[in-house]
Amino acid sequence: MGYAFVAPALAFMIFFVAYPIIYNLIMSLQLVDVTTLTKPDKEFIGLTNYINIFTQSTPMNYLWNSFAKTMIYTVECIVFQFTIGFFFAIVYTQKAKKLKGISGLLLLSYILPASVCSILFKFMFWTNGGIINELLKACGLINAPVEWLTTPNNAMWSVVIANIWNGIPFNMILIVSGLVTISNDVYESATIDGANAWQQFTKITVPLLKPAIKMVLVLGFIYTFKCFELIYAMTSGGPTSGTELMTIYAYRRAFMEFNFSEGAAISNILLVILMIVGFLYTKMIKKDEVA
Amino acid sequence: MSPKTKKRLAAVIWYTIGIVCFLVMLFPLFWMISCSLREETYIFSTPPHFLPPKFTLAAYVKQLQTEQFPVLPSLKNSMIIALATTVIAGVFGTLASYGLARFRVKGAGIIIMLFLISQMLPQTFSLIPCFVIFKNIGVFNTYWAPILGCCTAAIPFSVIMLRSYFMSIPKEVDDAALIDGCNHLQSFVRIMIPIVSSGIVVSLVFSFLQGYGDMMYSLTYVADSAKWPITTGIYNVVGRYGLEWNRAMAFGFIAVLPVIVIFLLMEKYIVEGLAAGAVKG
Repeated sequence: MGYAFVAPALAFMIFFVAYPIIYNLIMSLQLVDVTTLTKPDKEFIGLTNYINIFTQSTPMNYLWNSFAKTMIYTVECIVFQFTIGFFFAIVYTQKAKKLKGISGLLLLSYILPASVCSILFKFMFWTNGGIINELLKACGLINAPVEWLTTPNNAMWSVVIANIWNGIPFNMILIVSGLVTISNDVYESATIDGANAWQQFTKITVPLLKPAIKMVLVLGFIYTFKCFELIYAMTSGGPTSGTELMTIYAYRRAFMEFNFSEGAAISNILLVILMIVGFLYTKMIKKDEVA
Repeated sequence: MSPKTKKRLAAVIWYTIGIVCFLVMLFPLFWMISCSLREETYIFSTPPHFLPPKFTLAAYVKQLQTEQFPVLPSLKNSMIIALATTVIAGVFGTLASYGLARFRVKGAGIIIMLFLISQMLPQTFSLIPCFVIFKNIGVFNTYWAPILGCCTAAIPFSVIMLRSYFMSIPKEVDDAALIDGCNHLQSFVRIMIPIVSSGIVVSLVFSFLQGYGDMMYSLTYVADSAKWPITTGIYNVVGRYGLEWNRAMAFGFIAVLPVIVIFLLMEKYIVEGLAAGAVKG
């Protein structure tokens, strides 16, 4: 009986998720480009695609570059999103409770379509006259306009900032849902015992929020690591591959240079990394449940 | 300083911080709207004008009349893609989550694992093999390509989220309905669905946002730009061809408007879905 309920979704998932996963693996061992794409029999070339990806070296090894960029992007995003999200959660649920109602509006940045978010930030980061340069100039922080989107390092910061803006609410809400479970009595008795605000934060808030914090960090890592549309629409991975994350590298090989099998191989490598993180996460949860 | 004034001072500081953070976070949206309501000449001015010096709707009028990429038909395309995603993910997701939560299904562990893994899949990952698969089943260059693509994210999210809702209902409720003469389908439709209705709304809202927000599936699988959703249109028109910024911002605001409306109506459910670890893109 249960199968009848599960069947439609399962059939869908097998055909459009499980089969593509396997098909991707097969494709990565074949030669699939524009000329062979529609042919029924594609030539198997073993691990050639993987070897090419790992050994390709001019002007740089793009796999290594994209892995490094993905790590930089993920770590920078997570550090700021998490810290700011955590801070906001504390502000709007503990310190300035009356603002809780309006703080809901902050979620807008999270549900904005990525393409709109990216043109908006592209506009704000515009070198000549963009609002961010104008504000920095007005504050006396810079004299000449910063070339945000046209130099690799600054472009990375631009996409990171756009994604932080987009991701803060996610972090905030997950921390808030942990915070509301901590009873006020705990803080009151701590105050009576003479604990100051910082001690209360480090000795009460953080330890009690540990499960929520772990969840935010791991989910945040996975979602940020596979980030794609926002960056693609903002920089397409440029300039000079400065913001080319692994997802964008795979897309470029497959859909701009039409080497589908190499694109498949790159995204397989990406998936393996995500699976390892996901596996550690499920193990961590199980350990928590046992303990 | 007495403890009371100290406390009051702390409150003032925290409220100031709270308000400043709020304004900074919403500034990009404010800036988009503000720039969409002014002449192109006031877009890049030093020092910047925060409010339009001369208020005008010209950018909206021009953008809605443009033939380069017609805005309203693309909004219709977005709605078709988003609503179809919502309906398919809603029906499939509700059925499957009930089945997994209520029945002993052989291999349930593997099935749930499949749903969990698919939530972790990067979009690029499915874009490549589905390019070939969609070509073979003939959905290439139709609305079905982005709809099916968005469902690969929306269905697993709905299943995983709704499963925990169904599991929180005591088994006795189900049994009582069966004793009263309902069959499984009747008890599902008449008893269970009403109880988890708020969870279903959460999953519908997120499926809609997923379908509405997607730009990549249409960009990759649909060559005919008359079938593109507004998100793909914005990327293409602004990103590739360049556009006067006031018109780009007007275009952006038109695209965001449905999302803002949904947000204002559904805020409670969006918060709930987020707290459940919602996925996006």
